[in-house]
Amino acid sequence: MFETRSRRARITLQLVLTVAVVPFVIPLIAMLQTSFEGQGWGNYLAVVQVPGFPKFFLNTIIIAVASIVIVYVATLAAAFGFSKLRVRGKELYFWLMMAALTLPEVVLIAPLYTTAVKLGLLGTYWSVILPIAALQIPFTVLIARGYVDGIPDAMFEAARIDGASTWRVFWSILVPLSRPMAVALMVLVLIYAWNSYLLPKVFLIDDGMGVVTQLPEFFRRQYNDDTPKILAASVITAIPTIIAYIALQRQFERGMAAGAIK
Amino acid sequence: MTVTDLEIGSDRQTPVVKGGGRPKRRARLLPGGLRWILPAFAISVGLIYYSIIYSGYLSFFSWPGGRALMTPVGFGNYISALADPVLWTSLRNTIIYFVVVFIVQVAGGTLFAAAMHSKIRFANLYKVLVVIPVVVAPATLAPAHVEVWQSDGTVNSILGFFGLSALQQPWIGQSTTSLLVVTLVGCWDAIGYGFILIYAGMAQIDPELIEAGRLDGAGNFRVLFSIVLPTLRPIIVSLAILNFITALKLFDSPWLITQGGPAHSSEFLGTMIYAETASSDRNLGYASALSILVLIIAIAVSVFMQLRGRERLTRTKPRRKEAADV
Repeated sequence: MFETRSRRARITLQLVLTVAVVPFVIPLIAMLQTSFEGQGWGNYLAVVQVPGFPKFFLNTIIIAVASIVIVYVATLAAAFGFSKLRVRGKELYFWLMMAALTLPEVVLIAPLYTTAVKLGLLGTYWSVILPIAALQIPFTVLIARGYVDGIPDAMFEAARIDGASTWRVFWSILVPLSRPMAVALMVLVLIYAWNSYLLPKVFLIDDGMGVVTQLPEFFRRQYNDDTPKILAASVITAIPTIIAYIALQRQFERGMAAGAIK
Repeated sequence: MTVTDLEIGSDRQTPVVKGGGRPKRRARLLPGGLRWILPAFAISVGLIYYSIIYSGYLSFFSWPGGRALMTPVGFGNYISALADPVLWTSLRNTIIYFVVVFIVQVAGGTLFAAAMHSKIRFANLYKVLVVIPVVVAPATLAPAHVEVWQSDGTVNSILGFFGLSALQQPWIGQSTTSLLVVTLVGCWDAIGYGFILIYAGMAQIDPELIEAGRLDGAGNFRVLFSIVLPTLRPIIVSLAILNFITALKLFDSPWLITQGGPAHSSEFLGTMIYAETASSDRNLGYASALSILVLIIAIAVSVFMQLRGRERLTRTKPRRKEAADV
């Protein structure tokens, strides 16, 4: 974008960029540095050995995987229905769904908390998985429908003329063809579920049901503001997401951009 | 799949046209799809609309939850919410947060995106550093921010190092600076997001357009402001809406960094609703009334921004076409 013909211009740009990135590095360095204060690696060892520590990761993994499966199945089926099948008043259904696109999740907690208490769902995985899925589906359906609209109808017609059932058409044409888009969307759902904090905080009140985003608070309560250990826990929690991002960089960015460029 | 099949597919928009034999025949051929959209519809629309309606109902009661009695109070919750100075502080904070974060996000995102579309060394390293706050949970990073801004934290030691000890202060613990800390953390989170969207948008700009501008003698900044940014307007409108929603529901970082304090100075609507839902002297009716108010603001503002964005878009389009013709 910027044209840098001279060497000086190139160095200036590089320098400006380096200065601009400094504020991004400061908290990360502060976090790493403090996490080694005192016992050094011992902090990390202590954090990992805390009873219940693996449970936080396990809970997050269960919630993330279940959310991804539900969102994936519901989204692809809905995209197929909205784009390629006959549904009476389909645009009305679509609009009802899209109206929830920018819903702030915080407006759900009071009614859902009451409902969860009544149904005995408080403290179960479902009380977090279902709201996560509900909040993600409008967005994923919007993107997936746009993508499936771009697949020529003729492909589906040809398969149908050859005698394939609707189910078979879905499975053999739509699922494989929509894979690149689906991967990008599922990476977003993964990050959203992994990072969710408010919903687990409201619905998973029991320590045994905690998720990774609650680890810093867990350590603050258990170990009385032992800051190096709290930060060690934060580093351990952050590493999987950073690795996932670096590994799935392209899919992640494609998924994010798909929403706004539409 | 042959080429001819694909060509037939290109007329897939014809079913919209009424009359004519072909669309009708196709409509009859198409299998019904209601059950295919049902799961997504039941989960999202079902749960969300149920919550909103139930919220509306609850907002007319005073109710601590559980088996306690629900006392009907009419519009009492709304009246006491609007009379509550904390609500107005939260709204003020939401607006300040939105405006500052949005401006910093667009400016920072554009700078990084433009720089990374140029020839730069270690571009990927910069990119990862800028995007880390987008992918790592705010709740996970909150302790790091506390470490940076607390009285004996990094910011104060940097100020001390440069001989600016006069500026050292308890950033988190005083009501004049707590909102500043939360807002700066918000900028830190948001720039990477803006960067990703603006970067992707810039990749879609026709290079010939920029080349034409350069031939006409436009410099780097002229190209940026006269060609690139106008083309990115739809993305910037999306960012504005997303940012506003983020500000409206903001909870994680204010709660974990300042707890909305001291003295509600960094209170947001998200922290207010949470406190009302989760504290021991909760009133779920009041929390519901606040939720409905948030919802009304969210809908009104996104509709307004979308309309404004579209209006501007149609107004700038012809001019852009001229530029392309050159």
